[in-house]
Order: sequence, then C-alpha cells, then structure tokens
Amino acid sequence: MAKNLLTIALPKGKLGEEAIALLKKVGLPTTDLKTDSRQLLFEYQEEGYRYLICRPTDVPVYVEHGAAALGIVGKDTIEESGADIFELVDLKFGFCRFVVALPLAKAEEITTNGVPELRKLNHKRVATKFPNVAKKYFSSLGMQVEVIKLHGNIELAPRVGLAEMIVDIVSTGKTLKENRLLAVADIFNATARLIANRVNYRMEFQTIDPLVQALKQLVEERS
Amino acid sequence: MDTRLSEFQIPVGFKDILPLEAQLRRKLKEGFFRLFNQWSYQEIIPPCLEYYEQLRGSSKEEELFKLIEPSGRVLALRPDLTTPIARMAATHLKDNSLPIRLCYFGNAYRYEGIQVGRQREFEQAGVELLGAPGVGADAEMVALAVESLRLSGLADFQLGIGQVAITHGLLEDVGVPAAEIENVKLLMTRKDFVGLEEKLLQLDLPKERGQEIRAIFSLRGGGKTLDKIKGIAKSETITKAIEDLKEVYSALEVLGLTKHIFFDFSILRDFDYYTGIVFEGYAAGFGYPICGGGRYDGLLGKFGWAVPAVGFAIGIDRLVGALPKEEKKSMDVLVVGGNLADRLQEANLLRKQGLGVEVEILDKDREEIKAYQLRKNIAKLVEVKGEKTDG
Repeated sequence: MAKNLLTIALPKGKLGEEAIALLKKVGLPTTDLKTDSRQLLFEYQEEGYRYLICRPTDVPVYVEHGAAALGIVGKDTIEESGADIFELVDLKFGFCRFVVALPLAKAEEITTNGVPELRKLNHKRVATKFPNVAKKYFSSLGMQVEVIKLHGNIELAPRVGLAEMIVDIVSTGKTLKENRLLAVADIFNATARLIANRVNYRMEFQTIDPLVQALKQLVEERS
Repeated sequence: MDTRLSEFQIPVGFKDILPLEAQLRRKLKEGFFRLFNQWSYQEIIPPCLEYYEQLRGSSKEEELFKLIEPSGRVLALRPDLTTPIARMAATHLKDNSLPIRLCYFGNAYRYEGIQVGRQREFEQAGVELLGAPGVGADAEMVALAVESLRLSGLADFQLGIGQVAITHGLLEDVGVPAAEIENVKLLMTRKDFVGLEEKLLQLDLPKERGQEIRAIFSLRGGGKTLDKIKGIAKSETITKAIEDLKEVYSALEVLGLTKHIFFDFSILRDFDYYTGIVFEGYAAGFGYPICGGGRYDGLLGKFGWAVPAVGFAIGIDRLVGALPKEEKKSMDVLVVGGNLADRLQEANLLRKQGLGVEVEILDKDREEIKAYQLRKNIAKLVEVKGEKTDG
C-alpha cells in the first residue's frame, strides 16, 4: 500500500494547474501530472508522493479526514467548508474577492452620500454558492437575511427576482458588469492556501515542514 | 422512498455497534482497566445526566444535548466524564487522603456538526489524578498515556505535549495585547500561519517581537525545544513552568518514552478548563487525535473543593478506527448428538475446563452441522453418546 507516500489533494482546473507549477518549482515530482485528465490519482513511488485530483470543494474534506495529508485550495472554499484543518501558507495566486453585489438601481437606492447602507437590506434574500460565508458575514453585521443556495451562475438570481442581492467571488469584475450588478461591500479577499491535516502535520512533520518552508520562500521571492 | 425504513433509523451521530467491533472494544477496555488498576487508579461511574448549569461553564453551550425535567429543570448529557467526576469527587471524596487516583469507562455526548464526521455519542476510557500539583503528577499522566497507547497495539503513535500557561505567558511576555491573546491562541490551535501574518500586520509590533511570536507558533520537537522557548520567556513564572516541563521530560527520558513524545506549544485543546500541561495522542494514518488530556487546576474549585487535578481520556471510537480490523473470535467446541440434557451437561463439563463451548439446539442433521462448524470456524465437534430422544 501507499502508506508512506505523502498524499496531496489538488483541485481540478486553473487553480490546480497553478498549484502544480508551484510544486514543480520547489522540486516535487510533477511529470505527466494533470488536473483535467480522467486519471484522478498520480503516484510517484520513488520520490514518495501521491496526488489526488478532486473538485475544489472536496479538497478540505479529503484533508480534514486525513485521506490527504496536504491540500491546495482557495481560501473561499476553506471558509465555506468550515473544515478543521491547519492553514500553513498563503500561496498568493488565484486571487479573488468575496463581495455583496446588487443590481445597479437597487445599489443606488440604498446609497446615501456615496456610502451604501447594507442595513437597508435587512430581511432580504441573498443568493449564493457560499451560504456559510454569507450567513456568517450578515450575522456579524447583526443582520438577518434569507440565504438561498445556488450551484452556479449566481448573477442570474437578482435579474429574475429570486433574490435581491448576491454574495459571490469576483476576480475581474467582468461578470458583474455584464449583468448590471454592483459590488457594494467586500467580505474578504481570497487566495490559494496550502492546508494540512491536523494529525499528519504533526506525525509527518519531518517531511511536511521542509516543503512548507520551500513554498513560503518561493512565494516571498515572487512577491 | 419506503416509509417503513425510516422507522428503524437511529439519530445522526449515533451508532449501532455489532459483535465484531464490540469484541475489540471490550478487549481494549479490559486491557486499560488492568493497566489503570496496576497504576492504582480505581474505577468510578458518574451518571450520564447532570444538571445543565453544572456542565455549562466547562463546555460549549451549543454542543450540549439538553433535556427538560417535568419540573422544568434543564439537564444535559455529559460532554465528557471529567466534569461529572470533578463534581463527584468534590461531593464524596473530600475526606480521602491525597492524591486520589480514579479511572472511568463510559459514553459522552456532544452535539457536533455532522460534516465533521464525528460521532455525537462516543466512548471514552480515562483517568484523573486529583490533589497533586506539579511535576510528579504531570510525568505520571504522560507516562500512563504513552503506556496506554502502546498497550492498545497501535503500530506507530506520537504524543504531542503543550502547556497552556506557558503559551499564554509567552504571548504576554512578547507583548501581545491582553485583548488579542485569545485571538492569537485561536490562530495557533488552527496552525493558521496565514491568519497569524495578518494579525501581526494589524498589531504592528516591533519586528523582533513578531519573530518571537512566529517562533512560539512553530516550535516543535524534543527536549531542545524547551531551551529555545526559554530564550523567549521573560517572566519568572514562565521560566519556572519551563523548568518543570524539563523535569517531566527527564523523567520520561529515563523511562525510555521520549521516542513517542514531542513538544508543540500550539496544542491547547478544546476545553476551556485546562491550566497547565496538555497533550494529544496521534496515530499514523489516522486523521484525528486518539487521546487527549491535561492539567485542570481550577475545575474542582468550581464545585467547592479547590484541589489541583490532571487527567486524560482515550477515544475508544477513534482507537477502533485507527487499529486494524480484528478476526472474529471462534468457539473451541460445538456439542452435538444425544438429547438436550446430555448436551447441556457435557457443555458445562467442558466449560469448567476453560473452553468456549456452543451447544447445538436447532436439531440440525449431520451435514448442516458440518457446514455450520466450518462457517463459524469452531475448532472441534464433541458428540454426546446416547439416544436422541428430543426433537
């Protein structure tokens, strides 16, 4: 069995590809490693590593339960999952913002002297892919909102009256603009993070720590 | 969906334990019981339910399972056994000479989020050492925890040791504002290095101080780690606490246990009642801590008897998850033939010799018996002589 291989969970897609590029730079084996193929497990027996490829939202799940010792995933996904994991390094790629956005007219309606007053949206409906983040944010403001969970294309919801506002991640702001939505509040900024299982981090510290230090150094050099 | 099925479901987070797993649990508990007894720990059995207000202080409000008595008083299922035992000891054992060594086996209940994959009812085996401050008790506790894990048959395990007073004191010593210490500790327990950097930026401490905080966050290792944090400590109480911990380490060194332990000052445990040494046990290839414990000098005082205390609990469910699956135990003998009374008598004779004996009671024919013996892996058939009169 692959008992002494260090297992790293990587997300499918662009984030995963950037993660692979980073791992390659710190000297981890990445030959033929791809996140968009049908192959979901990649083993490098000689070097002692194994990668599993999964949906971004599943990365914290694999890591929390120890099926993977390490994982690379966006802070947005970590926050939403509420997983009990260690967050080791800010890898500083995959930047996006968590925002509250409204249709332009509505945004204008709640704005006085150029400052949007979110409180005016109390008891309104918010559509989002991230219900936990949304609930936490609004309850930190002392507001009560009705959270409607959707699985994609959140920007559609306010246009057809499913919700008054949305909570979503934005990287360029293009989608918001195309749908005549305006970001009225920033919740937090997210980038990709290296995460670890609580027990693996402690039991396999000798293997994990050098990797952590190498990634930290690489990220610092880049910025 | 078949509506009848739902009638037979059990609540989320609870579990039916079938013979094979029950057998392993029993074996583990018997082993722990003998070990704890040899170390002079006597078993006590606290009740499952306590008055809610007595449990409230030491655990998270939302994690308590609550019930209401017809009279209106609120009860809660015990979230651990330490708090009920503290109450019991303060009520019944005050007059005993110190120290008091107690052990326990039982279920505890916590309303945990289901996505965490934890059980809401879980079994614990543990010990409490009451009325003993200082190095001797701390060393005994860590040594017994290591012995317990060794006895359980885990191939590879480690015990991580922290000290909450040292962690707290060091953060004070390096100038983390009092209002921020809890926040920084929370970041530490999650090893949230990214959050730490953000916090340091926000606190705007001198660069050197920032380095010291980073060091407290990430220091990990054997006895030398203690010398490193001693360099950071400034107050006398913390220096003394580190000296004490060194003494504990020396004792463990003599016992040859240091290969199973390391220090990590970010281990702070979930319960708020810890005041000194804390530790967690980890098994290779298993994602959650197997055991945990520490010193809780303030807890008994809440029940009107201010004595120091230290203890630990092993999560039996976690241990079962980390151990390889067991073979089903099989009987030594199956008694067949003759009439029922003869078979029962023969079985008793064999049992007196110390054998595990099963009696055939379903009037199976020879072929069925053979098949049954094979399937149940029973070593030997004993055929009772005499006429078959029953059935």
